[in-house]
Amino acid sequence: MRSMSTAVFMGVCLSVFAQSVHAKCGDIVGKGDINIIGNSFPALQYISKELESCNRAGLKVAVKMTPEARVETERAFGSTGPSPFSAAVVSMGTFTNLNARGQLQPMTDLVNKYRTKYKIEDSMLVRVNGEVMAIAFMQNAQNLFYRKDIFEKHGIKAPTTYPEMLIAASQIKAKERSIDFPIAQPFGKGFDSATEFVNLLSGHGGRMFKLGSAEPDFNGDAGVKAIETMRAMLPFMTPNALASNSDDVMNQFQQGKAAMGVLWASRAERMDDAAASKVVGKIDFAAAPKASASGKIAAHLWWDGVVMPRNLGQDRDIVFQVLMEGLDEETTRAANNTAIWIRSTYKPTRFGAGVAASIKAGAPVWPSEPFFSLAHGELGKILPDALSGKLSPKAALDVAAAAYRSAARDQGFLKK
Amino acid sequence: MKLPSFLRFVGPSVGLMVALMAVPLAMTFYLSLRQCALEMETVTVTQSGPFGQQEVTTQRTKTTADGVPISQCSFVGLQHYKRVLGLDRAGADDALAPATTEATTSAPVGVGASKPANEFFSALRFTLSYIAATTPFVVGIGLLLALGAQQLSTAWRAIFITAALLPFIVTPVVAALSIKWLFRDNGLIPYLFSHFGVQVFWMAEAWSAQLLIVLYGVWHSVPFAFIVLFAGLQSVPQDSLEAATIDGASRMQRFRYVTLPHIMPLVIFILLIHVMDAYRVFEPIIVLTQGTFTTSVQYLTYYILLQESNPYKASAASVLTIAGVAVLLIPLLLKTYREQRGLN
Repeated sequence: MRSMSTAVFMGVCLSVFAQSVHAKCGDIVGKGDINIIGNSFPALQYISKELESCNRAGLKVAVKMTPEARVETERAFGSTGPSPFSAAVVSMGTFTNLNARGQLQPMTDLVNKYRTKYKIEDSMLVRVNGEVMAIAFMQNAQNLFYRKDIFEKHGIKAPTTYPEMLIAASQIKAKERSIDFPIAQPFGKGFDSATEFVNLLSGHGGRMFKLGSAEPDFNGDAGVKAIETMRAMLPFMTPNALASNSDDVMNQFQQGKAAMGVLWASRAERMDDAAASKVVGKIDFAAAPKASASGKIAAHLWWDGVVMPRNLGQDRDIVFQVLMEGLDEETTRAANNTAIWIRSTYKPTRFGAGVAASIKAGAPVWPSEPFFSLAHGELGKILPDALSGKLSPKAALDVAAAAYRSAARDQGFLKK
Repeated sequence: MKLPSFLRFVGPSVGLMVALMAVPLAMTFYLSLRQCALEMETVTVTQSGPFGQQEVTTQRTKTTADGVPISQCSFVGLQHYKRVLGLDRAGADDALAPATTEATTSAPVGVGASKPANEFFSALRFTLSYIAATTPFVVGIGLLLALGAQQLSTAWRAIFITAALLPFIVTPVVAALSIKWLFRDNGLIPYLFSHFGVQVFWMAEAWSAQLLIVLYGVWHSVPFAFIVLFAGLQSVPQDSLEAATIDGASRMQRFRYVTLPHIMPLVIFILLIHVMDAYRVFEPIIVLTQGTFTTSVQYLTYYILLQESNPYKASAASVLTIAGVAVLLIPLLLKTYREQRGLN
């Protein structure tokens, strides 16, 4: 009798488990083979599991996470035939490129149709001239990570400007024996150093392009100041800094070898990961510093969201529903700490405090010109030469501007 | 063998090679001579999203009435090759002339610092250095390991071969990551060095970053040389070795006059494969240093494709890469051809 009741209990458990597994996408009518592409980060890793739980007979969902997502997405969405990807998870930089090329599918009608079912909120909708072109689900920004315990121990205030950061670094280097290199920030070649530059350029009051044009404007005085600020930080950073990406910087913090630095908010939760971090509970987060006392905050705001290609070769209704299943309220609740979610069900944690402070301090939105990524790429290529002293800041910026002009001409953004 | 029989044997593989190698190569060459750009127009749009609403003056693709983006393609000849090689006059003028009006009032390019080297030739220089630095070690260490394995008992030999093959089995990106984690800040190697009061920052200088990449290259490629040479050593004729021993040859003489000539075709084969592999070095560069201080020709193509988003220029870099490896292989291929001809 007892074994029978155990069997019944097990059966009930299994059926409940099976129902919960199939709860996702259970009421989506139709078939499809849905491939989604995106970069790899903790929130998307969770979302991809949710999306893939939609798999059932006739409906196959696969998520490809790759560092080359931007290039693969642009190639797929720009191809003449149907896109091999039914949707993509993109950051706003990629969104801008795709939208400028007319490669995105408006989703306004689908949002109106399913707004109630999936509780789609207005703040999630990215509209261009009124049409919904993307659904954003999380925001991100670089903010200040600092060792609260060390700052308190030595009576140092968390820096609000880069000059203050340098003073704090010199004090910590002199007083704190456990820290050889107080500042840790991703200065690696390519994306990382170029992003730091863009943040500081804006902080010093500079612009990437002349107003209303694709002509470069980053090689003026503000650009030189931005590189000089980066150079001034190098004596307080590991000598490996020019080859350090966000993973390396996160590792320096987790190992207790860094006292402060500006890093992505999406890395904040990992500071308290006891399995990898020696500084659980010791890192605090604040707004990214201003470039100078009279300057502006040196950080930008980003969002990540989903888009669908114009050349979609499938039932757009099904693709949209699957995407929304992965981005529903349940996902936000279950993975609350992995990101700063846009949905109102998100419960802010201390890991999002730096971003909130950056928004309050007036951090601008990441540049959205479709030619921006070309300039960003050229800057990333040459900045290590400027930081290592191989080129003067002005020379490096002029080389990047010339290379950018050439690339922008190729793509039709500049006429001559 | 009669020609029809011969064609039936080689036809499938030749067909596959044409479809998977010759056609893509021809397409790459074709793309390298062209340039396509979307037709853009300046527009002011209202954008709204999680951070509010703003009016943006930007550029957008012109589209047909059906909403299809309009693009223009043209034949540009060798323009992309000239630009990759730094021979393009217009590009050079751009680089030399200040790009903005503000820049005209400031110091000209190059003041206070050297002019940046052409990236293709920098990449080529490092790639060739990498080949030159790794090849002797790959063959030498591979041979030593093979000779060592031959001396072991059967049981120990199995363990030795398995262990020696591990670096070759691991996926290159994973292998490069392992090396990076060993050598980066707080990694095992700097930690061990620190016990002796030595602090080395492996990714801080060009020489150490490049040395690390060479070390990775040797570590990852030696197992291939080892296993090929070990197999070759098994086929060295024992009667020739015995005859040499009876004639009074020392161990060194037996190796030099019997073993080495016997395995020399395999050494040439390893050189051929390693030179091709090394010319395409990519993973350790992107993983270990992200291209700081080091750029290989393969990495350059990747960067052009990824950052400049220009598949046409990347095609030119790709064709130059293939041409480079063909030039490098000519002496080895000629030697193999002569040997095969001699055999026939």
